[in-house]
Amino acid sequence: MSFHWKKLLIIGLLATVFIVPPLVMEIGTATMNLVIMLFIFIILSQSWNLMGGYTGQINLGLAAFFGCGLLVTHFIWKAEIPIYFAVMAGGLAAVVLAGIIGLPTLKLKGAYFAIGTFALAEVCRIVVGNIFARMVQMPGSYAIDYSLIPRYYLGLIVAIITIVLVYFVTHSKVGLAMVAVRDDEQAAQVTGVNTFKYKVYTLLISSFLAGLAGGVYAFLRLSFHNITAVFSPIWTFEPLMAAVIGGAGTLIGPIIGSVFLVVLSEIFALTLGEAHLILFGLLFILVVMYFPYGLIGSVDRIRQMITRVGRSISKTRQKL
Amino acid sequence: MELVLQTIANGILVGALYGLVALGLGLLMGVMKFLNIGHGTFIILGGYLSFWLFTLWGIDPFLSIPLVIIAMFLIGLVLYMVALSPLLKLPNIGMRIDTSMLVTFGLIWVLDNVMTILWTPDTRTIMTSYTGETFKLFGTRFSITGLGGLGVAVLVALALYFVLSRTYFGKHIRAATQDAEAASLCGINVHRIYLLSSGIAIALAGVAGVVIVSTYSISSSGGISWLLIAFVVMILAGEGNINAIIPAGVVFGLLEAGSVLIVGVPYRQAIALLVFIVVLMFKPQGLFAKRE
Repeated sequence: MSFHWKKLLIIGLLATVFIVPPLVMEIGTATMNLVIMLFIFIILSQSWNLMGGYTGQINLGLAAFFGCGLLVTHFIWKAEIPIYFAVMAGGLAAVVLAGIIGLPTLKLKGAYFAIGTFALAEVCRIVVGNIFARMVQMPGSYAIDYSLIPRYYLGLIVAIITIVLVYFVTHSKVGLAMVAVRDDEQAAQVTGVNTFKYKVYTLLISSFLAGLAGGVYAFLRLSFHNITAVFSPIWTFEPLMAAVIGGAGTLIGPIIGSVFLVVLSEIFALTLGEAHLILFGLLFILVVMYFPYGLIGSVDRIRQMITRVGRSISKTRQKL
Repeated sequence: MELVLQTIANGILVGALYGLVALGLGLLMGVMKFLNIGHGTFIILGGYLSFWLFTLWGIDPFLSIPLVIIAMFLIGLVLYMVALSPLLKLPNIGMRIDTSMLVTFGLIWVLDNVMTILWTPDTRTIMTSYTGETFKLFGTRFSITGLGGLGVAVLVALALYFVLSRTYFGKHIRAATQDAEAASLCGINVHRIYLLSSGIAIALAGVAGVVIVSTYSISSSGGISWLLIAFVVMILAGEGNINAIIPAGVVFGLLEAGSVLIVGVPYRQAIALLVFIVVLMFKPQGLFAKRE
């Protein structure tokens, strides 16, 4: 594996941009909250991207893994175990859940996988809603020294871990197998790739990330009026939108998509109200129909067009 | 004994509605391989249209069905022309299913919020003079609106069956379903068939919405749960097996009603969904699949 120093330098610069500011200056609560939500979105959309973008399996049950990670983190943290362990436990719990519900659903092909995971997420939502009928919240002692800065850094760390993990997974043998499954599952099988095994690997990694995102969210919000809300399909759909708008199947795409979605929704929610979601829906449809590689892909396409135009101009000049 | 009879009656009434809910989805998937995630949202839209007709002009929900059918049919035509027909160019069926899923998913986002703006997020229901009334037969109670829903479901399913199996238009649809290319070589205008089928599919969603708003209630974000039921029933019936959808709906309704007896109301849908997943794993071709 070769390292690209230029890329690493850019990543390092970006990391300092995110690491330093909260230490040296006071940032408003609203901005901090926004950036933490951005981290959660990046983690979730990368998680969906592993499954949907690289492996081509549309997972509509992401909310179940997110919610599972959130619940486990919440209760372990409540038992006065440090949050970093609690978040890890949340991620692992999501992996266990993925093992239980993923193995049967991964036997399903194409659209059936989408419907199966969707149904399972709904089952989780109903069951959890029945078990925790009341408000789920932390005891008051946790709220006394509540500060957004540790939440910010936890989100940042998990987001960086996610991006690095996705980078290494997709640049490994597993990543090749994943792309092979997406492009032509039968051909992959014929050439000797154990497609089921790699699909399971991907699902486990992806659910681990979703569980971590749930952990970060559990750390951010201390009380949940209605715990079924974190299992609701919206936690599947918004990361899906972010990944697809940005460009599914690329590392940068979901990050750009998340920034786009979170920042624009913050701007538009104030000026347009409900209507901004309509705009996102329309944009999403346009991207799916005309830019199947997302914003990232369209940037590449425009660049290609520019170089092509440039070349033809220089050619005509030579002729003249 | 009475309880069991009542459970069965409830299961059948609810199940017929479940079948009706899945008809449009099954048609779109069966004929064109478009998986319409927005199906539940179209159901809600049909319900709102009926609600509107009732509140503004006092038209009875069951009488408003023809009007809703016409309106939703037109919406279906627009949907096909704007969003679905470009997807026919995709190279293979798998991509078509996946992309149509994503496109209609974006549509949910748009329609849900349009409906929230137009009709507020409140839960709506139609209260007619006969809502909530029941009559007794052999010691079991049947609600009038539930029976009306059953009647509508059976009528619609019979009409669809008649159209598909007894008319030339239905023959063309079946031909296009089996092999679109061969059908078009035989002189069938496949695009026209697809266009009309989309209209019919969305109109069917509208009819289901009318029954739902008169029996239960609707809210602008309630489409997802109906979508899930439609998915389940469609798969239980077997993909492309449109005639088995109402029976499959009744099976699912009975299953749900039966699990109320065993585990209680809160887990009713969870149990039914678990059974569905088991069916999906062991018999993905559906319960009513024809033997080949």
